[in-house]
Amino acid sequence: MTAPPTHSHRLSRLVNIGIPYLWLGLFFLLPFAIVLRITIAEPALAQPPYTALWEWVGDGMLQIQVNLQNFILIWEDDIYLAALLNSLWVAFICTVFCLLLGYPMAYAIATAPERRRMILLMLIILPFWTSFLIRVYAWIGILKTNGLLNNFLLWTGLIDTPLHILHTQSAVYIGVVYSYLPFMILPLYANLTRLDPTLLEAAADLGCRPFRAFLRVTLPLSMAGIVAGSMLVFIPVVGEFVIPDLLGSPGSLMVGKLLWTEFFSNKDWPLAASLAILLLALLVVPFVLMQRLQTRIEEGPA
Amino acid sequence: MATIAERRLSAPRLEPWQDPKAAPYVHIERVTKKFGDVYAVDDLSLDIFQGEFFSLLGSSGCGKSTLLRLLAGLEYPSAGRIFIDGVDVTNVPPYSRPVNMMFQSYALFPHMSVEQNVEFGLKQDRLPRRERAERVGEMLDLLKISELRRRRPEQLSGGQRQRVALARSLAKHPKLLLLDEPLGALDKRLRENTQFELVNLQERLGITFVTVTHDQEEAMTMSTRIAIMDAGQIMQLDTPTAIYEFPSCRFVAEFIGSVNLFEGKIVSSDGDRVVVDTRLGRPIHMRSFLPHPIGTPVTVAVRPEKMRLCQEFREDGVNQLKGTVEDIAYLGDVSIYRIRVGDGQLVEMTLTNIQPRTEQALTWEQEVAIEWSPTSGVVLTE
Repeated sequence: MTAPPTHSHRLSRLVNIGIPYLWLGLFFLLPFAIVLRITIAEPALAQPPYTALWEWVGDGMLQIQVNLQNFILIWEDDIYLAALLNSLWVAFICTVFCLLLGYPMAYAIATAPERRRMILLMLIILPFWTSFLIRVYAWIGILKTNGLLNNFLLWTGLIDTPLHILHTQSAVYIGVVYSYLPFMILPLYANLTRLDPTLLEAAADLGCRPFRAFLRVTLPLSMAGIVAGSMLVFIPVVGEFVIPDLLGSPGSLMVGKLLWTEFFSNKDWPLAASLAILLLALLVVPFVLMQRLQTRIEEGPA
Repeated sequence: MATIAERRLSAPRLEPWQDPKAAPYVHIERVTKKFGDVYAVDDLSLDIFQGEFFSLLGSSGCGKSTLLRLLAGLEYPSAGRIFIDGVDVTNVPPYSRPVNMMFQSYALFPHMSVEQNVEFGLKQDRLPRRERAERVGEMLDLLKISELRRRRPEQLSGGQRQRVALARSLAKHPKLLLLDEPLGALDKRLRENTQFELVNLQERLGITFVTVTHDQEEAMTMSTRIAIMDAGQIMQLDTPTAIYEFPSCRFVAEFIGSVNLFEGKIVSSDGDRVVVDTRLGRPIHMRSFLPHPIGTPVTVAVRPEKMRLCQEFREDGVNQLKGTVEDIAYLGDVSIYRIRVGDGQLVEMTLTNIQPRTEQALTWEQEVAIEWSPTSGVVLTE
């Protein structure tokens, strides 16, 4: 039997629910609304650099100015759509590589003896102790024409002319996969350690060889981890700016770079805001799909 | 306690272990399993015959589960050999053994329906679809879980999960089924019913069952033979009746049921009759089939239900003791009395409550005399 809610009871419940809502409203919805509002403004030489939404023009007249030119521009100029699609593609490729590299690593950590497991996890987390920017800069040193990698390959005799990797798309892939691998490994590891090892014993007992047991038992049961890790990699990589800017070719089209250019170089906040909103809309679709997939996995066969 | 075992005895006797010509179905030959420095199974040999309901009984850590896992192929022995149906399977991986196991935790695949769980093993054998469906249907019917076929393990009760696990392990028609604490996770009522069902199933299918349990009642009720294990070794291997009535050592006597132990020395031995001098102040007369030289230190073991109230106490009466009732545990059907006798030892006596509790004669602090027959106990040297 639950006691009838007292006044203080209701108050504490209101506070409990209210605080996260307040937080979301203040730090997510409000900024989102501001960005949304900027999309329909015009750039202006002012502080902030866009036109106001409404203006009193006398005689009790309120003039509201809605500028849809940005969306029309994005639609009509191929570069924006191409950048968006290219970003999605790059993010997809990187997610696949992170998964292919991260799954075996997460599996190895999850199945390692207890004591070694902590050390291995530390090794995954350790790079975070150094600034992200510095680690990406370090890759320049590794990948450049007379960098570490080329010198090493020349020394071993595997190549006789230096490879041109830096400032190509390959360098972006390398940098992104390197930087985002932990975000794939950690959720996968968390998922795989929860896997009951007797399930694999049961599979073996029922005549299932180890690799098939992996495909039929481990893999489907770790799907939630795969989805979580993939989202953690895919979503931030779509908007990634630093890595393509430092390692990629100057002509490479990434929406993050484009945003930067519009925002800081061209001072066109409305266009940048429109692009950001469009990117968000494009990301919500795969996100919702993956969420659906995840709930379906958790609910299992109908 | 021994209802099913009794029924077995009235039926044509299944006692292949008495037949020197019978070939064992499972032959364990001097098997040792070490984990680091710990001997989980220590130089153990054992034969199990076709159609047996064999139980490995012991407290946790005695090595019974390890022995079962060795049979399943989930562990490999450090030394010794294991034969199943005449084939050396010592180093055969689990997926190639003609053996299935029901796990203590049931280990049902959480991402598969009941039906898919049962079908899993059949799929590994690449059986055609129709045959698989037939076999799954047969198993679900056998265990009366057909209506659960589309459910997932998390939507099942403990008893239902147990049935699914059993159906899954039986689906491949194994000749040997290993059961790790098959009833451990069920509540008492369900456990009793399932015991009967398991035995019926085993008799109907003619499969050899090897179960691991720490529950002596379960082992007593279901098994053809029981191996009592301790520290990786078999302490006694016998039928439930023999283990209860004629324990071979103190460990077994104390492990199964309750027992009164009287320590002493043999003072006279004549044929199968021995006299043991104990601290009770008077000699104990017992029957013993083993020869005991005079002076051998022995322990006399007498079960509480073998004790009875003495009708007429005589100073020279055989195995009669005087004492005071110190504790009474009323269990409904029986009561357990703890009686402090001459030398201060507590002796347990179980009496069936023929009269209602309120009309019983025995009460606390009462002076009583108890006795037992020389044939209702054993003389132990170990």
